[in-house]
Amino acid sequence: MTEAAEAEALTSAKAAADRLTKAKRLNALLTPLKDVRKSLLQQAAGAHPGGVLYGMPVAVKDNICTLEFTTSCGSKILEGYRSPFDATAITKLKAAGALIAGKTNCDEFAMGSSTEHSAYGRTLHPLDKTRVPGGSSGGSAALVAAGVVPAALGSETGGSVRQPASFCGIVGIKPTYARVSRYGLVAFGSSLDQIGVLGRSVHDAGRVLSAISGRDSKDATCEDRDPLRLPTVPESLQGFVIGVPREYFPADLDPGVRRACDRVIKVLRELGAVVREVSLPHTAFAVPCYYVIAPAEASSNLARYDGVRFGPRLGGQGADVRALYRATRGAGFGAEVRRRILVGTYVLSAGYYDAYYRKAQQVRALLAQDFRNVFDRGVDLLFTPTTPTPAFKAGEKLGDPVQMYLSDVFVCTANLTGLPAMSLPIGRVKGLPIGGQLIGKAFLEDEMLEAAYAMERAVPAVDEV
Amino acid sequence: MIGLETHVQLRTASKMFCGCSTAFGAPPNTNVCPVCLGLPGALPAPNEEALKLAVRTALALGCTVHPRSVFARKNYFYPDLPKGYQITQYELPLATDGRLSYLSPDRGVTSATIVRLHLEEDAGKSVHDRFPRATAVDLNRAGVPLIEIVTGADFRSPAEARWYLQTLKQVLEYSGVSDCDMEKGSLRVDANVSVRRSGDSTLGTKTEVKNINSFTNVEKALAVERDRQIAVLAAGGTVAQQTMLYDAKENAVRPQRAKEESHDYRYFPEPDLPPLVLPPAWIPEQQARLPELPAAKRERFVAQYALSVQDAAVLTASRAVAEYYEGAVHAGAEPKPAANWVMGEVLADAKDHQEQLRVPPGTLAQLIALVQGGTLSHQAAKRVFAELAVRGGGEPRTVAEALGVIQVGDTNAIGQWVDEVLRAHPAEVTRYKSGEAKLMAFFVGQLMKASKGKADPKLAARLLEERLRP
Amino acid sequence: MSVTREEVLRIAQLAELDVAEDALPALTEQMSRILEYVAQLAQVPAGDSARPFLAGPDAIRPRPDEVKPWPLAFGPPELAPAFKDGFFVVPRLGAFDGGEAGK
Repeated sequence: MTEAAEAEALTSAKAAADRLTKAKRLNALLTPLKDVRKSLLQQAAGAHPGGVLYGMPVAVKDNICTLEFTTSCGSKILEGYRSPFDATAITKLKAAGALIAGKTNCDEFAMGSSTEHSAYGRTLHPLDKTRVPGGSSGGSAALVAAGVVPAALGSETGGSVRQPASFCGIVGIKPTYARVSRYGLVAFGSSLDQIGVLGRSVHDAGRVLSAISGRDSKDATCEDRDPLRLPTVPESLQGFVIGVPREYFPADLDPGVRRACDRVIKVLRELGAVVREVSLPHTAFAVPCYYVIAPAEASSNLARYDGVRFGPRLGGQGADVRALYRATRGAGFGAEVRRRILVGTYVLSAGYYDAYYRKAQQVRALLAQDFRNVFDRGVDLLFTPTTPTPAFKAGEKLGDPVQMYLSDVFVCTANLTGLPAMSLPIGRVKGLPIGGQLIGKAFLEDEMLEAAYAMERAVPAVDEV
Repeated sequence: MIGLETHVQLRTASKMFCGCSTAFGAPPNTNVCPVCLGLPGALPAPNEEALKLAVRTALALGCTVHPRSVFARKNYFYPDLPKGYQITQYELPLATDGRLSYLSPDRGVTSATIVRLHLEEDAGKSVHDRFPRATAVDLNRAGVPLIEIVTGADFRSPAEARWYLQTLKQVLEYSGVSDCDMEKGSLRVDANVSVRRSGDSTLGTKTEVKNINSFTNVEKALAVERDRQIAVLAAGGTVAQQTMLYDAKENAVRPQRAKEESHDYRYFPEPDLPPLVLPPAWIPEQQARLPELPAAKRERFVAQYALSVQDAAVLTASRAVAEYYEGAVHAGAEPKPAANWVMGEVLADAKDHQEQLRVPPGTLAQLIALVQGGTLSHQAAKRVFAELAVRGGGEPRTVAEALGVIQVGDTNAIGQWVDEVLRAHPAEVTRYKSGEAKLMAFFVGQLMKASKGKADPKLAARLLEERLRP
Repeated sequence: MSVTREEVLRIAQLAELDVAEDALPALTEQMSRILEYVAQLAQVPAGDSARPFLAGPDAIRPRPDEVKPWPLAFGPPELAPAFKDGFFVVPRLGAFDGGEAGK
């Protein structure tokens, strides 16, 4: 490896460490600064030259396993936990020459929409410290929005990359389910989870997504496909048919959000796309469907946190093993995680399984059919608002759990149906960023990214609407 | 009425959902990885050979193999269950509706129904008596591939259950899918037991009996539980639905200590695994891999080698012995003597040497030929066999010569011993000549002594007879 | 559909989770709220059907039976909160005999 290349990487590493230090007040980074700095310099010295991401500092959400640093998933029950293996996505990032720039704050076990449910304090919105950056990948979003790193890994189960991208005014991409290996992504809702990417531009986010995508024999749910190939920036959107589902534009939609979306639709038409209204009739049932399936799978995925083989023991010792379980889990899980585990246990339990879990799977199938029906009728992509409002204030939605859930209304359908989706900044409402969402066809991220490139060039992302 | 649930470990090199070794006897917690440790972020990766062996087993048991089956999670907490759930199959198992024919001591040839056969992963091992007031957990076994074979409530007696199990073991061993060693834990049995008065059509309450760890104990445990239930009913009580643990030392059953509530396993389809869709080629492939199964082989031995059913049963009890026997016959041994030798010396030797068949079948055939041809007496041949066994083979004639046991078949030599013996026992000669024919045995015995066992006894008898003819 | 305090405790036991007495009322209320919210799924007619949704690949692609464990940078001794003589150590099972798989 050439000296020049190594010098470049070191410069990049040092600069990233400096920026992380300056952004300390955001509470976006969980790894102690001195550890990140030290590691970045070590990594820079050994990074793969010639990799497409060579020298790029990428922050990683704390629910993705890394050999460097700890993996706590924003929880006390994994406080200080060091993973003895790298997630496949991390292995691929390293092979591409990227530098792992620390672990970012998130809602505990990725359960939340504001990063307020972290055991390590909330993350601040970079533009307004009284507001949330969104969640659960709030730490990653904040660091990208604050210009600390060009890209960061997040994860999605119900919109947790796109929603914070919208709140923070950056790009957030969720690939098709099965596009990126989940090996090393700490499981929350296995049939919904995907690693996603936050980036300051479509290109940055796209490059990182491309690098981490592709087959993996360690994940039986990962499709046997080559990595994603990025498209070129198109001249126009001639030939694209873009559907606008009416259910995502309810009468009570925030007027600022509506104005921003209308502006985008105008731009899309100017770019040559055909834009037409479509319908996804079962949309109203998406959030309740999600809040049966995700907690059910989570209740099972989180059973392994019991203080036996790893992690801290938080009490109940000296009695019997059941006391150990109950004390560790009782003390180790926060209130939102506990609620979801209990709801999930309930909907899977004898007597309730058919009415809740089986029913939710039926509804999920109907949602998938809604999208198939629209895509089969010549529509290439869908455009919707990402979130119903801009970033809300910290504490505003903590009173009623369901209130928080409703902010996922536009994003959770892509997780339930496995479709690729992304958010791009499309304007400001009273100074706060707002995102527009594209939903694509399965495994056709390249078409979605083409449209995103064109939108990015033509839509004034930071203008007040 | 008894039904059995048998868990069988499949003979694979690696575990069901990860590449860790399944080798028995490793130091604790050394055959582990993120997957079988249940670490955060780990995912299951199914083992192809385990899937194929399961298909083969289902075919061997005459089951309907379902081209599409689904894995499911069975959720419960236990220290040696790393993920807090076991990956198994629930609503859509690999196979259903099979049967296994076996010899019931009460009803003759009968068959057990195989209600279902499915794949799952094993849990680790908990050791309760190693540390005071603590449990030691070893996860080497966690993730080893298992198939669960469930029968209907088909057995009318503890003995029947045992015979079924022995037949099941035989079939599984023949098919090469498992070692079926209850000592090593590669075969485990739980039973469901209920009783009802003859003539009564309502089914009795079932209890589950666990902790049975040998074939003998299967019969004992079931008898104990049956008797317990009968006693309860005779005293006017009702049988409670519970799980009983068998205590081999006391030969008793006791209820598993009361759990606060019965398990709710909250089964749901495993989201980390796609459906198991069998490639069409697998079924004919695995069918072809099935060897001639025990019952068919036994019948063929009876027909082909003119053996009795009992002898054929002994010779086909294990596939290795059956193949050994046929190896000897194909190398030229006559079927009946070969059968006797295998059932006798060969199996006796194997029993003392970890079931090894130490003398190659071709060598045995040669040895048998020497006896048939008169070169060795049967006694001498046994000595030669023992020596061949220690050496793991060899040339029977050479060994016999070295031991000095080659039978003397030379008429002159024997003639000389005849003279010796008759000279030494004139009184007996007179008695023989006056009608005491049974003294011939005495003369032969004396001649064998004089020849130090080397004379061919048949020839000796003949010459003696000739000489003593009036 | 609401849950009662007793049901919440029963579910917490199934999930092996301690819930403090004073947290129970709020938790019961929140769970009731959530379950009532998701119960609206019942409004979707049972007869409405669509092809069952499968998130990932259609069929398992199994791995060859080779002893090739996935990487593990350090093992049980370093991971475990309590480890002795090669074993994970947990407090003795008391009134708890829950072992299942093949036991």
